Amino acid sequence: MTELKHYFAPTSLDQAVECLKDGDVTILAGGTDLTPQSQAGRLKIKQTLMNIRHIPQLSGITLEGKEIRIGALTTITEIMEHPLIRERLPVLVVACDHFASDQIRNAGTIGGNICNASPAGDMLIPLLVLDACVELASMPENKIYRHCMPLSTFFVGPGKTRKSLCELVTSVRIPLPAEGHVAHFYKHGTRPALDISTISIGVAGTFRDGTLSNVRVAFGAVAPTPVRASQTEQALEGQRLDEATIEKIAQIARDEVKPIDDVRATAWYRKEMIHNITKRILSHVAQA
Amino acid sequence: MNVAEKKARVIEPDTLIGKRIPKMDAPEKASGKTRYIHDINLSGQLHGKILRSDRIHALIKSIDTSAAKALPGVHAVITAADIPDQRPIGVAKDHFPLKVGRVRSERDEIAAVAAESEEIAEAALKLIKVEYEDLPVISNPEDAIKPDAILIHPEPHGADGSHEHLKQGMSIAHKGKPDNIAMRFDYVHGDVIQGEAESDVVIEDTFKLHYVTHCCMGVSGMIAEFDSSGNLLMYSNTQVPFLHKREFAEYLNMDPARIRIIQPPIGGGFGSKLDIYPFEVICLYLARAAKRPVKMLFTREEEFLASPTRQPVLLTLRSGCKKDGTLTFRQVHTLHDNGAYTSWGATTPFVMMQTFSSLYRVPHCDYHTAAVYTNNPYAGSFRGYGNLQATFAIEQHMDMLAEKIGMDPLEFRLKNAQDAGETTGQGMSFKSCGFKDCINTAAQRSDYARKVQENVANRNAAGNIKRGVGMASMLHVGGGAKIYPSDGCGTILKMDDFANITLITGASEIGQGSETVLSQLVCEELGLPISAVTVVNNDTAITPWDVGVHASRTTFIAGNSAIGAAKKAKAKILAVAATKYECAESDLDLRGGFVIKAANGEAVVELSKLLRNLHFQDKAELVMTTFYYEPPSVHQDKGFKGDVSAAYAWGTQVVEVEVDTDTGIVKMTKVTGAHDVGRVLNRLGIEGQIEGGVIMGQGYALTEDLMIENGVMKNPNFRDYKLVTAPEIPEMDISFIESMDGEGPQGAKGVGEAPSICIAAATANAIFNATGVRIYELPFTPERVYRALRGQTPKLYWKPWKAN
Repeated sequence: MTELKHYFAPTSLDQAVECLKDGDVTILAGGTDLTPQSQAGRLKIKQTLMNIRHIPQLSGITLEGKEIRIGALTTITEIMEHPLIRERLPVLVVACDHFASDQIRNAGTIGGNICNASPAGDMLIPLLVLDACVELASMPENKIYRHCMPLSTFFVGPGKTRKSLCELVTSVRIPLPAEGHVAHFYKHGTRPALDISTISIGVAGTFRDGTLSNVRVAFGAVAPTPVRASQTEQALEGQRLDEATIEKIAQIARDEVKPIDDVRATAWYRKEMIHNITKRILSHVAQA
Repeated sequence: MNVAEKKARVIEPDTLIGKRIPKMDAPEKASGKTRYIHDINLSGQLHGKILRSDRIHALIKSIDTSAAKALPGVHAVITAADIPDQRPIGVAKDHFPLKVGRVRSERDEIAAVAAESEEIAEAALKLIKVEYEDLPVISNPEDAIKPDAILIHPEPHGADGSHEHLKQGMSIAHKGKPDNIAMRFDYVHGDVIQGEAESDVVIEDTFKLHYVTHCCMGVSGMIAEFDSSGNLLMYSNTQVPFLHKREFAEYLNMDPARIRIIQPPIGGGFGSKLDIYPFEVICLYLARAAKRPVKMLFTREEEFLASPTRQPVLLTLRSGCKKDGTLTFRQVHTLHDNGAYTSWGATTPFVMMQTFSSLYRVPHCDYHTAAVYTNNPYAGSFRGYGNLQATFAIEQHMDMLAEKIGMDPLEFRLKNAQDAGETTGQGMSFKSCGFKDCINTAAQRSDYARKVQENVANRNAAGNIKRGVGMASMLHVGGGAKIYPSDGCGTILKMDDFANITLITGASEIGQGSETVLSQLVCEELGLPISAVTVVNNDTAITPWDVGVHASRTTFIAGNSAIGAAKKAKAKILAVAATKYECAESDLDLRGGFVIKAANGEAVVELSKLLRNLHFQDKAELVMTTFYYEPPSVHQDKGFKGDVSAAYAWGTQVVEVEVDTDTGIVKMTKVTGAHDVGRVLNRLGIEGQIEGGVIMGQGYALTEDLMIENGVMKNPNFRDYKLVTAPEIPEMDISFIESMDGEGPQGAKGVGEAPSICIAAATANAIFNATGVRIYELPFTPERVYRALRGQTPKLYWKPWKAN
């Protein structure tokens, strides 16, 4: 059952954020999460269903100064195929390549993946280790107000974010990686496509002379939200990646996460995978 | 030049047998034009929905349907109380379609609604109020056989607590069951004690097989309509139209002659439509109550919750052999989780014991099963019918015994493999048998012997990827199975004046390709192209008797029946031609649409012309024939012995894997199969059937797992129930061993179930070959494999249980 009374398809950002003012709005983008969740009764569609797909300002991938801006409506397929992403942010391409199926990638959007705030969201882990920020727009008075929030503070629980009901995610902004930047993503599941990750790992940083600095580590599906792993990051910072160090850091990573048992895996197995895959990624970095 | 001098046309010999012939229904299916039951809508039709229990095991204290009945658009709301003449259904007649007084599993049907739309029907279900009193839940079959276990089907008591007076012959649904044992099977040949005494090596292990379900892409459905004279027309996905007609009549207390079943194209069967399920009977009740056609379709979630499953089995196998590699005995005890009710799953021991007693030569064999009631989903029949479970245990033991005596596993198998001409301890007689050819072909084509050695040598090498190769073989019925008093099939064949054939067969098409193969067989006899055939196979008012699609029987049984009808048609045509052209019938033949001279292929007359001549005359004659084929198989005796099938199919599959020891992920890289199919009829069709079966076996081995916890299904969706997807499908190398079965149609044997049987067993052996770790429980999910590799899996042991 739904309270749905109005359907609205704005053609400008102004119209969209104005519609959001009273807050009782469900936002539709690609629909790949919204549709199954509402059909299964896990999500209730509010009085107004607003389809944002006709707003041109929400599309496109552009280089803006030292940032890459990906419009919220950009589909996973568009990200995967875009030359700028392939050249400068190849780790996102890896994540796209493990994202659901072709059909879902053609419809699902980056903004939707972020707002769905799944602890296992495939794009979220690489975005976290790339220091991505979420751009939000609202209309508190009669004018659009925009601000950015680091993705690392955006998530508060499964399906819950710090975005207020009257805000719209308009883009995600990623600082251009510096010289020597490396980034890796690994999604662990039972099959190569159409899977929810059992765990996922992102590692990024600047690799010079056998040491990793400015380290970012993030884990998926081990907590209520995608998480940055601060203890693992600290332990890694400035370390030379020899075999003993890698093993030590993999153990810190395993001890840092607090996963749960569910239909996909037990907590024990998830911790083991965090250990083994962290080790695998770091060995890979060290050998590169 | 006059006509007489014109050179006669010669028709070269040709055959359809063994060719690659596209399935006749493929263009419609591929273009999305096939009208499945989901696409059929009758005028005035209502939509039926079922209210299922939200408790696992409970007494129903009250049901209030008043609010649902008052909802506009609702035409009927029914509960057990509205159907006083409800009859119990199922293989053991142990449940009512609408549950009476008690629910025993998550899927249990409490009430049903027929309304003008699905939305209204669903809204009405939400208005039905049910009060329950919870009972303890039995979710583990080992608990079900404990002496103090709560009974799933207790004997009903009178209001004063006294025993109801129970007449002999009453069903379990009425009289209850004093224990939780749904069925028992005990089979013996030889003397296992003697066999064990003669053994140099004896091993005993417990194996655990899990729940999986068919996952038909087309969800279950039914449309029922009573006409003004009280005749019932059903659109149904059943695999067994004729037997079910009679059963439905019993449930409705009506004359079976007044029931007609039409079978629209089906979106997958695999055994799941072999029994009558509550939703079908409820749909009929709704149509009767509402006096309107009622359509009922499952949602995907319902398809998971309320479809049958493959039988979960706990199995302890004790096997022995001599140092020279001769098998001495096998002793098998199994505990089948029957679920809350009994369907065909309980009878899988019929097939399992064949594998134990007869796949290899075993002088002494002893097999015992108890299928026990629990509050879990109930198991039905599923492609392979118990054979996947039996083969999983047996073929692991073959490798383990070989290792114990230091014999090559290939040599060990060949030494004990059956040959043509043998009759087994269970009385199965192998008239054609390509078993050894299957083993040798699969081994050679996969380079099995070299890889086994190489992988063992590489077990301790650096790197997280370990390669493994494993082998397993199977025996399955390939010439029908005499389960019912008849195992036959009827055919009606008619030819029109353009030499087109209408083949009316009792055999149902459930996607297996029977239409195409039957057309091939008929055209082969009558010398016509396959395009000349129209198959009619989906209406009990038209088609002749058949006992249904099961036991890999259709090609063999319906094929022989179709050939019989075609031969009679041919004889009639040749007799007419012989008279007309003043020659002997034996001088003539049919080929390429012509009557020809048998000796040199010279065309005598176009067949269509001859048929027109036959029609357009004073004493017109039509070519219309009928044939009924009954295979020369026999019923098993009370000890389960007898030659139950007219032919037996064999197969060997070699599975290659890569095991990632960091994650436990098992990647199936290649399957090499060799199948004794008697003879290849449609090469394209059989390849497709084998490939599909291999993938089904792969899902059983690696990914598919219906998780049941305390009677609750945890993953009734395709997100968490993992079917194999396209990138995971291994490379396949399939060979066909053509043993030319003497009884089979053109020498062919049944193969429908065969390809999925060995995969899990061969995968288990491959994982062992790769890692040195043997895993006794399915499926081989990453976590299960990883745990085993890390020594975190306690050795499974189930002590064989004996009831007196």
